[in-house]
Amino acid sequence: MTTKTTAKPVRKSAIRWPGLAAFVVICALLVAFSWLLLDTILRWTLERTVGTLNGAEVNIAKVEHSWSPLGLTITGIEVTDPGQPEFNRLQIGQISGNLNVEQLLLGRFHFEEVVSSGIRVHQQRASAGEVYQAPSKDELSTWAKQGLDSLNVKLPDVDEIVARVDLQTPAAIAAAKTNFAEQKERVKQAQANIPSEEDLKSYQAELKVLTDTKVETPQQLQQLRDKLKALQAKFKADRERLVEFKAVVEQSVEVLKADVERVKDAPEQDLARVEQLIQLNSEGLNEITAVLFGEQMRQWSQYILLAYEQLAPMLAKSANEELVKPQRGEGIWFEFTDKSEPPSFLIKKAITEFVWNDTLLDVNWSNITHQHEQLGQPTTFIARADNSALWQALNLNGEMAFTADGLDAKQQWQVQGIQLQQLALSERSEFIASIASALLDSEGSIGLRNNQFDGGGVVKLTQLEVLAEADNRWTQVVADALKTLQRLDIRADISGELLQPSFNLSSDLDRQLGDALKSSAMAAGRTQLAEFSGSLQQQSDGFLGENQADLEQLIGLLGDAEQRDQQLQEMLQAKVEDKLKDSAKDKLKGLFGG
Amino acid sequence: MLTLLAKFLKALNSESGVWALAFAFVLGMMMGFTPLWRVHNLVILLIALIFRVNLTGFILSFILCSGIAFLLDPLFHQFGYYLLAHESWQPLWQAMYQSAFWRVVQFQHTITLGSLLLSLAFAPILAVVSAVIVTQYRHRIQAWFNKLRIVQLLKANKFWTIYANLRG
Repeated sequence: MTTKTTAKPVRKSAIRWPGLAAFVVICALLVAFSWLLLDTILRWTLERTVGTLNGAEVNIAKVEHSWSPLGLTITGIEVTDPGQPEFNRLQIGQISGNLNVEQLLLGRFHFEEVVSSGIRVHQQRASAGEVYQAPSKDELSTWAKQGLDSLNVKLPDVDEIVARVDLQTPAAIAAAKTNFAEQKERVKQAQANIPSEEDLKSYQAELKVLTDTKVETPQQLQQLRDKLKALQAKFKADRERLVEFKAVVEQSVEVLKADVERVKDAPEQDLARVEQLIQLNSEGLNEITAVLFGEQMRQWSQYILLAYEQLAPMLAKSANEELVKPQRGEGIWFEFTDKSEPPSFLIKKAITEFVWNDTLLDVNWSNITHQHEQLGQPTTFIARADNSALWQALNLNGEMAFTADGLDAKQQWQVQGIQLQQLALSERSEFIASIASALLDSEGSIGLRNNQFDGGGVVKLTQLEVLAEADNRWTQVVADALKTLQRLDIRADISGELLQPSFNLSSDLDRQLGDALKSSAMAAGRTQLAEFSGSLQQQSDGFLGENQADLEQLIGLLGDAEQRDQQLQEMLQAKVEDKLKDSAKDKLKGLFGG
Repeated sequence: MLTLLAKFLKALNSESGVWALAFAFVLGMMMGFTPLWRVHNLVILLIALIFRVNLTGFILSFILCSGIAFLLDPLFHQFGYYLLAHESWQPLWQAMYQSAFWRVVQFQHTITLGSLLLSLAFAPILAVVSAVIVTQYRHRIQAWFNKLRIVQLLKANKFWTIYANLRG
């Protein structure tokens, strides 16, 4: 007897306890890993997040954290300009700030005080930055006639302008030639139907025969009367044709006279149009202020509008998820904060140190956030610095706040005694100009309501010394005008939307130079204009010489037709029938002895 | 090193039922599709480790789905964005935003929400399909598969030897 024992399979528990130990180990490794690489993780996260808001690559050299107090120090920040990836729109030497731990535990980033130094705008990058969201053409600031490329350094060329003008003289001559041919043909056709001189003579002869015939019998009288009636019907028909012919000729003469007038007037009109275009062509230089000073003003405006151009777009993107185009695999973080809650991001105070050449400027900020409605206060900024190496006095202050309708902001500034030296205005070979020295004062104010700019300022340049060289007569006018300048007041107006402000620069120089350049253009083109005018006149005279005889011939035809009509009318009105009756009466008297 | 890895897998991978493999694929898929550094992935990892799901299947599924997720990210983002921006869902999101738990889950991130919801929706389908495929594989394909030259070659390498020794 054998006993068979079969081992019953032990049903394993659904729980795998060693797994829990493995989980604890993995978590511990993760914490250790994060702890050790926290700075790198923070750097990477900041580069990605700010890069997404900026729309282009952001580089951070180093991030350091401290636990007590909880703070961050970020060094070497480079924010690529999405419109010009070879440049940094903003470069910050260092930022440091302490985080409020209590708020951080509630998921809010509140910095008590942030200090940043070494801020520069528009700096060349070592290599072009990656662009994640290129600004549309509309988003780029539009500078009126900006750039020296728009400086027209050539005299308007008469031949070029003539080529652009739709000249009236040749067109008028061509139209008149066609009309002459058509009208002559029309008259010729009408002329074929009218009675000729011979016809009229023959009618007169026939009439004479009728009147000279002696009536012998009543039957003969009746025959002669019938002949007369037939002849009169012919006269009538011929007269009608003559009237028609006269109408045709009259119409033709009228058309052709008008053509001749047009051909006569066309050269004068063409000349006037060419002169007008030469003047219009020189109007590009009416905006010489924008052309010469636009680039400098653009650079200065980057500092004046720093708060709007740099900070506001990023804050605007933080406040509106629709404006953000995330990088691949990045996604977007939404916020659903209540209006009564504190903002999720807030820098209570910040001191930013801007670098302008060798001069430092501290701007003090308060309440930097994108949730002003929750905070109940706007972001404010103020900068005040006197007797620096670059200026005598500077005062800049403003505030901005995001509302449901967009950004509302205002800003005003006064700068006095900025010493400018060796500032290049144009370095083109045809025209070299620079400010050798000048003293710059500026003041103004800018308002921004519902994302719309409004305002402007005045830039006063005194003790101005401009060096200018030109290699042609045209630019010489500009150079001469600039060299005589000792003072220049430039009015700079700003308008348009936050992300696409439009600037308009103007000064008295525009009008003065505009007039001088127009006169210069007209004087330079005088000889060519005279030649042009002579050529037009020759064409016109040639046509008139060829066709005047035709017109006179038509007028002569009209006279002939008139004369023939007169003759026919006379023949119609001749009392031939009375004469016939009288002749018959005489005959009857002779028969009856009366 | 290879021995250690094989031992670790051997220690944890002691159950390889059909459903253990299917759940492993599902958990790996969810972890692979969603952004890695999220709290819910810790929960998934805990489930995968503490319950007897097949860890090899879990890791393979995670690696494979992480690759697929790169292609699906735009879809996850669009779906998450649609939900988070939808007017009628705002009260729910606002209420969740007030809760520390949901803030930690990071539901307010478009890819996180989109990928988590879509992978949850796909989970039952993948579980059933995986279970069917594994069953069919074991009944019909395994023997043929083991005879393949490439499989023979793989079985000849050192890691397989260590793993087989551990199994024995």
